Amino acid sequence: MMDTMAIALGIRDALRRFIIGLVLYLAILLALPYSTPIFSALFPQLERPLYQQQTFAKLVAAHVMLVLVASFVAMVVGIGAGMFVTRPRGREFRKIFETLSAMGQTFPPVAVLAICVPVIGFGFWPAFVALALYGVLPIGENTVSGLEAVSPAAKEAADGIGMTPIQVLRRIELPLAAPVILAGIRTSVTINIGTAAIASTVGSVSLGLPIIVGLNGNNTAYIVQGAVLVAGLAIVVDLGFEALLSRLSRWKA
Amino acid sequence: MIEFRNITKAFGETVIVQDLNFKINKGEFCVLIGPSGSGKSTILKMINRLVEHSAGEVLFAGEPIRSFRPEILRRRIGYAIQSVGLFPHWTVEQNIATVPQLLGWRPERIAARITELLVLLNLDAARFRNAYPHQLSGGQQQRVGVARALAADPDVMLMDEPFGALDPITRESLQAELLRIHAATGKTIVFVTHDMDEALRLASRLIILEGGKIVQSASPREVLEAPNSSFVREFLGKDDYGLKLLSLQLVSERMKTVDIPCSPEPVKPDDSLHLALSRMVAAKANRVAVVGPMGERMGTLFLTDIVT
Repeated sequence: MMDTMAIALGIRDALRRFIIGLVLYLAILLALPYSTPIFSALFPQLERPLYQQQTFAKLVAAHVMLVLVASFVAMVVGIGAGMFVTRPRGREFRKIFETLSAMGQTFPPVAVLAICVPVIGFGFWPAFVALALYGVLPIGENTVSGLEAVSPAAKEAADGIGMTPIQVLRRIELPLAAPVILAGIRTSVTINIGTAAIASTVGSVSLGLPIIVGLNGNNTAYIVQGAVLVAGLAIVVDLGFEALLSRLSRWKA
Repeated sequence: MIEFRNITKAFGETVIVQDLNFKINKGEFCVLIGPSGSGKSTILKMINRLVEHSAGEVLFAGEPIRSFRPEILRRRIGYAIQSVGLFPHWTVEQNIATVPQLLGWRPERIAARITELLVLLNLDAARFRNAYPHQLSGGQQQRVGVARALAADPDVMLMDEPFGALDPITRESLQAELLRIHAATGKTIVFVTHDMDEALRLASRLIILEGGKIVQSASPREVLEAPNSSFVREFLGKDDYGLKLLSLQLVSERMKTVDIPCSPEPVKPDDSLHLALSRMVAAKANRVAVVGPMGERMGTLFLTDIVT
C-alpha cells in the first residue's frame, strides 16, 4: 500500500515538475516581447536591447519543429536498427553497428553539421540531416543495450509458453528495454536542442539566431535572450523525459 | 502422449543425443534424471521445439511436432523453468493470464481461471493478484511460474529443474503440491532434475540418462530394487541407498495389528518407513504406534520388521 502510494506520488511529482517548468517557460516566452524596459536597464549602452527580427514564439516553434522532426527520424532509424541487430537474422550486423556508432560519437555534433553544408547547402535541410544522423547513435546504442539487458529467463519463458517472436519483442523485450531506450532518446534530444541552436550558423531558423546576431553585433542582450530560451527549452524537455521515465518504470518500485 | 522415435540431436560436431526412443503415456509423471551433460534438458526442450531435433521424429498427441507451428504447439504445453522467468513488468495476474490471452479467452474466463490457480497453488489472491514479481519470495515466484504454466490447462507440463534454486523447505512443500496437483488433474508431466531424492519422490517413472542414452527406465521402486547397472547404483547414492529404499515403502506394508504402548510420535499407514525409522531413532525406541486419520490406533511397527 505504501509502495503504491509512493509510486503514485513519484509520478505526480515528476509530472508536476514538468508542468510547472512548462508553464514558467511559456510565461517567459510570452513576457519577453514586453521586456524592453528590463533589458534597457540591464544594457543601457544598447540602442535596441530586444531582438525583434522574428518573434520569439516563431523562433521557439521553428526550433522545436527542427528538433522534433529530426529526433523522430532518429528514433525510427535508431530503434529499428537496434531491434534488427539483436534479432537472429541481424546478429551478423551487430559488430559493424557497434563500430559505426562508437566512431560516429567521436565526431562532435558541430562537425557533423559542418560536413552537411557542402553536401546539402544552407537552410533547414543540412540542420535536419545533421541532427537526425547524430541523434541516431545514442538511440541505437541504448536500444541494443536495453534489449540485451532483458533477462534471458523472461525471454526463454516467453518463447516456451508460446509467444511468437514478434509478441516476445512487443510485449516483453521492448517494454523492459523502454527505460534504457528512453534514456537514449533523452540524450539524443538534449544534444539536438543544443545543436539546433548552432544550426543557425548554416542558415536554419532556430533559437540560435538571436545568439549569432548578438555575437556578430556585440549585442549581449540578444545573446541572453536566445540563451535563456534554448536553455529553458532543454530543461523543460528534460523534465518531460523525467516524468515519462518514472511512468515507464512504475513496476520497479 | 509424447513419443521419441530415433531422435538424434547434434550441435555442430557434438552429438548430444543419439538414436533415442521412448514413450511417455498420458497421466505419467515422468522424471528425466542424469548428471550434467547427460542431455536431459535438451531432450525436454525438444518436446516443445525450443531445441529442434536433428533426425528422427517426435510425436505429440500422435502427431509429429513439426506439423504444428512452434507457438501453437507451445501453447498446448505448459513450461516452467528453474529461473522462473516471470515477466517483471507484469503483475502476478497478468503473468498467469499470458497463455489464456494468447489463446483469446474471454476476460471473465481468464479472471476465473486465475482465481482457481491461485487457490490451487496456495497463493492468497488478495495479497498476490496485483503484486509484481520482485515483491515475491523465490518460492512464491515459482508458484506463480507453475500457475502460469498450468493456466491454459495444457495436456502436458514440461518442467526444467523448477525447484532447483529453492531452499530445501520451500522445495519440499512445492514438491508436495506438485504431487497433489498431478493427482488432482491427471496431467502428463515431464520433469528434469539432477536431484535423485526429488526424482524418487515425484516420479511415477524414472528415465535415467547418461551421455544422451537411456540407462534405465522404470518406476522408482523398480529402479531402487533392481538397478540395472553400476552407473545407476552409484547415481542412487551408495551410502544412503538403503534409506532411499525405505522412503519408497509404506508403513502399512510392514505393520502388525497389535496394540502395545509406544513412546515415539505415531505414524500413519501411508507414511514412509523412512519416517517411521526416523521417529524410532529419535525416541530411542524399537517400535512405533500406527494410527489412522482420526488418531485411532491401527497397529504397531517394529524395528526388526523394517529390515526383514
